[in-house]
Amino acid sequence: MSFGIAARIARRELRGGLKDFRIFLACLILGIAAIAAVGSVRTAIEQGLRNEGATILGGDAEMEFVYRYASDAEQAWLKINASTVSEIVKFRSMAVTGKGDNSQRALTEVKAIDSLYPIYGTVSLSPDMTLAAALTPQDGIPSAIAGRVLADRLGLSVGDTFRLGSQDFRLSALVIKEPDSAADFSFAPRTIVRAQDLQASGLLGPGTLFDSYYRMRLPPDADIKALQDNANSLFRDTGMRWRDKRNGAPGIERFVERIASFLVLVGLAGLAVGGIGVSAAVRTYLETKTSVIATLKTLGAEGRTIFWIYFLQIGFLSLIGITLGLVLGAAVPFLFAPLIAAQLPLPADFSIHWSPLAEAASYGILTALLFTLWPIARTENIRPAALFRDSVNRIAFWPRPVYVLLTAGVLAALIGVSLAYASVPKLAMWTLGGIVAAMVVLVLAAMAVKYLSRRLAKTGLLRGKTALRLAFGAVGGPQSEASSVILSLGLGLSVLAAIGQIDANLRGAIADELPDIAPSFFFVDIQPDQLEGFLARTQGDADVSRVDTVPMLRGVITRINGRPAREVAGDHWVISGDRGVTYADAIPAKTQITKGEWWPLDYNGPPLVSFAEEEGSELGLKLGDMITVNILGRDIEAKIASFRIVDFSTAGIGFVLTMNANALKSAPHTNIATVYVNENAEGKLLRDLGNTFPNITAIRVKDAIDQVVEALGSIAAATSYAAIATLITGFVVLIGAAAAGERAREYEAAILKTVGATRGQILFSFALRSAILGAAAGLVAIFAGAAAGWGVMRFVMETTYHFEPISAISIVLGGALVTLGAGLYFAWRPLAARPAGILRARE
Amino acid sequence: MSDAILSLRDVRLVLMGNAGPVNILNGIDLDVERGKALGLVGPSGSGKSSLLMLLGGLEKATSGTVTALGQNLSAMNEDALARFRRDNMGVVFQSFHLIPTMTALENVATPLELAGHRDAFERARAELELVGLGTRVDHYPAQLSGGEQQRVALARAAAPRPKILLADEPTGNLDGETSDAIVKLLFDLSDRFAATLVLVTHSRELAARCDRVVRLKDGRIEETATAEAAQ
Repeated sequence: MSFGIAARIARRELRGGLKDFRIFLACLILGIAAIAAVGSVRTAIEQGLRNEGATILGGDAEMEFVYRYASDAEQAWLKINASTVSEIVKFRSMAVTGKGDNSQRALTEVKAIDSLYPIYGTVSLSPDMTLAAALTPQDGIPSAIAGRVLADRLGLSVGDTFRLGSQDFRLSALVIKEPDSAADFSFAPRTIVRAQDLQASGLLGPGTLFDSYYRMRLPPDADIKALQDNANSLFRDTGMRWRDKRNGAPGIERFVERIASFLVLVGLAGLAVGGIGVSAAVRTYLETKTSVIATLKTLGAEGRTIFWIYFLQIGFLSLIGITLGLVLGAAVPFLFAPLIAAQLPLPADFSIHWSPLAEAASYGILTALLFTLWPIARTENIRPAALFRDSVNRIAFWPRPVYVLLTAGVLAALIGVSLAYASVPKLAMWTLGGIVAAMVVLVLAAMAVKYLSRRLAKTGLLRGKTALRLAFGAVGGPQSEASSVILSLGLGLSVLAAIGQIDANLRGAIADELPDIAPSFFFVDIQPDQLEGFLARTQGDADVSRVDTVPMLRGVITRINGRPAREVAGDHWVISGDRGVTYADAIPAKTQITKGEWWPLDYNGPPLVSFAEEEGSELGLKLGDMITVNILGRDIEAKIASFRIVDFSTAGIGFVLTMNANALKSAPHTNIATVYVNENAEGKLLRDLGNTFPNITAIRVKDAIDQVVEALGSIAAATSYAAIATLITGFVVLIGAAAAGERAREYEAAILKTVGATRGQILFSFALRSAILGAAAGLVAIFAGAAAGWGVMRFVMETTYHFEPISAISIVLGGALVTLGAGLYFAWRPLAARPAGILRARE
Repeated sequence: MSDAILSLRDVRLVLMGNAGPVNILNGIDLDVERGKALGLVGPSGSGKSSLLMLLGGLEKATSGTVTALGQNLSAMNEDALARFRRDNMGVVFQSFHLIPTMTALENVATPLELAGHRDAFERARAELELVGLGTRVDHYPAQLSGGEQQRVALARAAAPRPKILLADEPTGNLDGETSDAIVKLLFDLSDRFAATLVLVTHSRELAARCDRVVRLKDGRIEETATAEAAQ
């Protein structure tokens, strides 16, 4: 066989143009464009974060301390190594307007700055002015600037005054943009003041929950990595955390990477749907080429020559589709850059990024191969006798074993590539497993629908009901569109159904169920001498049903059994940042010890700790292990005396670490409290406590829940967009299947008209078969969505799953209607055509 | 018969239809002499075209042996059959079966290219001139009349100089005048290259031009005779 001859014949065959390949190309283009676009936006954000690393961080490097300022040794290190050091303090507080019963308060995230802030970038204000001018005191009152959300919540205008603790501030401007805001995720709107103006506020007392940041401008020739290593070796055990411009916002970058990785996987589902369309289009094309293939075989072409002729054609067309998909995927984020940038709170560098395009191209090539190899290889099975009789249906299903092995190899490569690109391989594995499982279920469903329809069409039940019998006969017949319609539409609907179920369940758990069991407020920064008064006010209120209070400190677990904690436990959340730590002498009510024993009353020996059972098990801890916790720069080494159950799901007070009282009670600390109060009494309680204890910060749990629900909504929306791309591809496949069957329907309609069927009867039959297929796809989607929802809620969220009927019913109806619409559209021409012309053309 | 170029021995062909197996040919024994023309006649559904397919290795017999040029076609796989046809056979169909995306020249050149002839296009051009289509070489099948398409098909079949020419009702889709021209061309080509011709036809006149005529009925040979006797 000469490859050249196959190439020449392939080229001649392609003269027929691309009209037979519109669905083929559309499926590839859509699938690849979606993946390329998601990848391009991700890379644009990552690149933007990297380019603007110093601005986002607010310096070339930063040292952060929990709950304290830098020690003398740390200050000295900063002075030696940095050319400029800016000190910033952040904490939560209540911004208050008015007095007494007319006061209003709102949670705010206070940022107290020095005169060097910001080292990089500028703060944009409204009205336009410099930061220094905005923070200059006027008429003896210090100035503050705040986010618009805070001003709106308190009804503040520029020039009005408000209080932080016991200090009045005049709002001099609204913050339009903070250069370092991307690295600062906060629940509450921002207030920026000069650190020196807080001295009279009473807010930064001993034990107050605050963080200090030391941002450095480094000399141009500084070796950041060496500085980081040096600082870590000296200060990491004292709770210092280091960040630098190489990765200014690691949390955000990780979040963006994970979300994008998940969206790419959803995009892969789209590509799988597209693959079904591609496969169907190739099969349809090759069916039209049966006589050509048979003729070539008659003329002496070997099976391998035939394979190459069509492999080259489909390969060439795949390259066109992949290229157009990449162009579209790269162009869309680029063209909509201003729009996307306006929606993003992050810097993004929108340009042509090659790595996401390479990722999308590799998915495209492998998917095209996976779905086309098999039908092309089957051309070898076409026998020349096809020229003499219609033997299309007699082509053997299985190609030669070498092609079966090749297809399996391509599938393995596709899974391998997906895992290699995924930032969370486990998630990729589950998602791909879900897609494959859904496809298997859909194939089985299609077979079942065909079998049942065939049986139903032959039973006496439908005798006399011609339209019904014809519809079921067509769905179960040899030229049925059932497989490609149920598979393509079903997979798209399954992804959407899964998102619907997961979203509804998460919202249900967080927005509907949690508020019933969660406290109304968290109060933080209750000084020890305020506790009595706080309890008197809250417990004496008839509308308050429950008050829980515990002392609270914050600390970083630095060592486990003398080894650095990160070496022992990797990236576990318990050791990745500072954690709340409490202490108790007697065992608190309702505590469930699972292992070990609580310490005796007034225990005064070496420090002991009771550790949360689940987290302890995840960290591989056992009784007797030594935990080193850095609190306020001082290491406390405690032995694990017991494990206990800590339930975080009620949003109540829950500490991973509880130490014996004598280990901590002499350290400066404050108390936190949870208060369960009737909704209508919330305002008064908040006002009274605020007026009496201006330094105490109240966090309304419902507000926090609302923010979480809002964030969840955004993630669900992003996922839904990716799923809709899948659904659109499914719709394209559906249209392809409907269009491919149009000639057969035309012929069928002509015969039916000849034997006396009315157009209404024919239309009803056509509509019915579409509705059957759509409903079948929708039903499978409900089961697949419910299974995915159950899996995620049960194993990932570790909560209960409830079937959510509204989105499920919408999915079935949507599926049936979409299929019905496409079916009716493509029934129009067959119905309008005159039978004589159609039948003559067939002779 | 000692000089048989094609032989069938106790050949049966059963195909699967929608309603179950259908007997197409039953116990066919037949020899075709080298260099002679054999006409296959009979009513519709008698198995003429199927017999032609078996002779060309286009269909596999259910049982029995089909031999061409001394080789057992029944024992060959699909690719071996394709190579055998490429080197030894030309086939003409009632429906022409030209490849629609190729010009007349390319259609004729294809079997020559597949056989590895470097001068495929020159030979194809000469072949088309021989059938009177020298000025239509760059036309696509859709731009040619039925008669012209069949002439392209004849040129394509004859171009590799096959030892065996098989024709399945080559005039079935053509009008009378065009049919005569095609028949003349078909016999001229087979005479010129001393090819053995097997011709399926409904036409008595066409059958009369063959050296021998085999009449089929219900999948069996009903009668074998010389053309004069068959008349």
